[in-house]
Amino acid sequence: MDQVRDVEEEARAAASQAKSTQELRDLELKFLGKSGKLTLLSREISTIAPEMRPAFGQAVNEAKLRVQEAFSSQQESLLNAELEVKFESERIDVTMPGRQIRVGKMHVLYSAMLRVKQILSGLGFQYRESPDVEEFKFNFDYLNYPPDHPAMDDQDTFYIDSEHLMRTQSTALQGHVFSDTAPPLRVFTIGRCYRNEAVDRTHGHTFYQVDAFMIDEGVSMAHLRGTLGAFARELFGEQIATRFRPDFFPFVEPGVDFAISTPNFQNGNWLELGGAGLIHPKILENFGMDSKKYSGFAFGLGIERIPMLRYGIDDLRYFYENDRRFLEAFA
Amino acid sequence: MKLPISMLFDFVKVSLNAGEIAELLTMAGFEVEKIEIVEGEEVLEIKVCSNRGDGLSALGLAREILAKNTSASPTDLYIRASNRFKLPDENTRSVLSVPVTIECETCSRFAYRGFKGLRNISIPDWIQKRLRQMGFRPISFMVDLTNYVMVELGQPLHAYDLNKLSGPAIIVRNARVGEKLITLDGVERELTPNQMIICDSKNPIGVAGIMGGLDSEISNSTIDILLESAHFNSQSVRKTRKHLGLNTEASYRFERSADPEGVVAALNRVRELVVESGHEQGSLEGVTDEYPGALKISIITLEVDRVSKLLGMMVTPDECRSYLTKLGCSVDVYGDIFQVKPPSWRPDLVGEEDLIEDIGRIHGYEKVPELLPFGSTARGGVWGFYRLQEELVERAISFGFDQTVTHSLVGSSVLCNRSSEPVEIRNPNSPDTKFLRNSLLPGLADVLIRNGTSDGHYFELGSIFQKLENQYLTQKSIALISCGGLMPLNRKGDQVPVADFYSLKACLEHLVPTKLQYGDSSDARLQPFQQANVRCELFTGILGRLHPKICKLLGVADNVFAMELLLSGEAFDDSTRQHFALSRNPSVRRDVSFVISKEIPYSIVEKNLQESLGSILESMWLFDVYEGAGIADGSHSLAIALTLRKSGENFTDEQANQEREKAVRGLESLGAKLR
Repeated sequence: MDQVRDVEEEARAAASQAKSTQELRDLELKFLGKSGKLTLLSREISTIAPEMRPAFGQAVNEAKLRVQEAFSSQQESLLNAELEVKFESERIDVTMPGRQIRVGKMHVLYSAMLRVKQILSGLGFQYRESPDVEEFKFNFDYLNYPPDHPAMDDQDTFYIDSEHLMRTQSTALQGHVFSDTAPPLRVFTIGRCYRNEAVDRTHGHTFYQVDAFMIDEGVSMAHLRGTLGAFARELFGEQIATRFRPDFFPFVEPGVDFAISTPNFQNGNWLELGGAGLIHPKILENFGMDSKKYSGFAFGLGIERIPMLRYGIDDLRYFYENDRRFLEAFA
Repeated sequence: MKLPISMLFDFVKVSLNAGEIAELLTMAGFEVEKIEIVEGEEVLEIKVCSNRGDGLSALGLAREILAKNTSASPTDLYIRASNRFKLPDENTRSVLSVPVTIECETCSRFAYRGFKGLRNISIPDWIQKRLRQMGFRPISFMVDLTNYVMVELGQPLHAYDLNKLSGPAIIVRNARVGEKLITLDGVERELTPNQMIICDSKNPIGVAGIMGGLDSEISNSTIDILLESAHFNSQSVRKTRKHLGLNTEASYRFERSADPEGVVAALNRVRELVVESGHEQGSLEGVTDEYPGALKISIITLEVDRVSKLLGMMVTPDECRSYLTKLGCSVDVYGDIFQVKPPSWRPDLVGEEDLIEDIGRIHGYEKVPELLPFGSTARGGVWGFYRLQEELVERAISFGFDQTVTHSLVGSSVLCNRSSEPVEIRNPNSPDTKFLRNSLLPGLADVLIRNGTSDGHYFELGSIFQKLENQYLTQKSIALISCGGLMPLNRKGDQVPVADFYSLKACLEHLVPTKLQYGDSSDARLQPFQQANVRCELFTGILGRLHPKICKLLGVADNVFAMELLLSGEAFDDSTRQHFALSRNPSVRRDVSFVISKEIPYSIVEKNLQESLGSILESMWLFDVYEGAGIADGSHSLAIALTLRKSGENFTDEQANQEREKAVRGLESLGAKLR
């Protein structure tokens, strides 16, 4: 029995001294392998008196278990030590740049349009479009422009022929919708509009305009203000104040200019977003709607205005130049 | 319009400073864009809406202040202006006895006063100062005075040198063919019929409502004057102004309409100021006033309960009546119905809605509450083809392409689509806005050139245009352009795949999950034999490599690949797509490698394998294409990995080999030889 204890002692001492997993594997063979010391010891059971054999066998087995445990515990600490060495040797500099992958970027105007679509869709407006090359009557006559009125001077127009022009306002959709849809209705559109202007920081010959309108019984200026308020808060933050200033657009009466003010932009000054008002009853009547029963509102604003205010972009030309640095800045 | 604040205070007593006046006017609809200090005084720069000619005067703006501010009160000048500066002699003809004949309907009124002996007289300093503040150039006594009264009252006036007129007569008529007039600016104007002019007994002496003639111009030595005050039709003035390209203070006001009832008042006011300038007599006795087109004003019926309903805020009937009265309307109340007669200076008031707007303006829109819309409506949102476009954008971005927005108005380009007739702009402002784009590719190429890098992957979804007989078609299109590394280069030695026909083709096939048909194409913008027509139910288009000649013209490398798809306008119908239960059994792979004539397109090989193997063929992967040493000319070697899978049972090796044999026999029927 002493012999068993001695071998066990020797094995455990050897295991705890092992310097590497390889050395430990060699020692394991030396003590627990087919011809290892402990294995050989267990074979000596036949040389022992029969009445001693159970106790001897038990002692050897228990010793084997303890030795095995000693080996695996040493094994684990050696592995950990080896891993630490490996980790140290594989240390990286996490401040080095990430590996670039190609990520497509959405254009900042398009993302503004998507946001506008989401907001107005959420308010129950349906999206529609009408052509950029528009008939004169949809752009002006149907919108209650008196023939040859100075109001048209604000909108220098590109003409195609005597009846066709590049639409100057996406409000031109109204005539199309009123021809095929009866109230109640809520519709909006986003489209390119064109003005015959020289291009500089604040003028372009092309811009995007969102135009929305609803017609129902009992629609008032309060619903217009509520809708525009909800719309503008989604785009520019909850803390904005809104203002209506009287203005003139032939297709609305009353007509207003819609402005917002927020401490975030330009010291809280009023920033005009666009035109709005109640749809002129003459337009409703012209399309067969009873203007005593139905009323409606309409509003329109330039899409470019949204990122310009939000990001402080001060030159319209950036939007159509597609400089990669600009495209990446707002992706 | 620029207006020194003191000119407002001439008409209205109010304890507001310039900033507060500016706020009040802005909120009344007369936007004050700027307040400048000129010669020690605030000068307001005011934007007047095109339907409010009455706002182009100190009197008109004072009226708005009086209506909107309850503590404001009218001055003596305002009261006299309201009484049209009545003078006892105004109902007798001018002693000048120059007869006035109006021969056209577009002149509804023409009046004049005569002035004689205006010697050694100069305009008072306070008027001179105000004219300077407003930016008027000093010209001569009477011209300066008429400018001043025009801004005070809104009535344009014109002074003729009495001694330069030929014959004692004024005739207002349309010009005749070939008639000419040198206007005050020294330009000879060729007049055309329908242009209204003022003539003396022989010659034209002025273009009505726009500018006088040079020959009858007054100077500082002029002592005898015929001073015109008239009312001209706004559309007629506008047409002539546009045709002559001659924008003046007078035409600006007539276009926006002046007050026909204020014609004589302005003459009377000038007379007052001539006296104030030190001329004892002022003017000759009498006013000659031809007024054939007496003003007809229609009564407007206002259902007063509609005011609060439409404005969305409570305005009492008393308030409504008060506001309208202050603005110059006469109001007869019949219970809930108002019969309203607008004043002569407000031709823009024609319907109930116009009155409601005025009530709202004066009451104050800041009192309108916010309410969200209510009630039933059609379904909201972005549907059908509009939604498909959004999806296409999302997909193109997911391939790593940058979205661009380029102009629809373009110049000509080598990348224009030659098979469609472009729409032309009749009045372009530069060669770059001469056409409407008929392809998105020129814009995308510009982006590539602008960014000037060796790799670029851009797309745009937008409208393209073409002329088809007499129709102008607007269609939606999506185009992609791709060159250089498909991934950014990170470290030296990285293997980066580069764009080619097949990389762009992969994008195309992921753009819409539907079966595409490829056909031969001969688009001159693309390199021969590296291009294809492509179509499906959603679009038709082209795909290929830019022609090297075009690349050279554009100044880009010759490895640019492009595609453009013309969308049909239909939404994607995915009702035919169906889910299949996923097999739980493992797949096996068998490869076939064979030599085949290049005459046989891969699509035939693909179809052949599909037919040989049927439903057990899960996918195939062309993993090697080789030609050259060891392969006969006109042939190439293809290696294809076949993934086979069954549902409910596993393939044994033997079964898989048998299937491969089937595939090989099929290929042999195409003349393929196994390697």
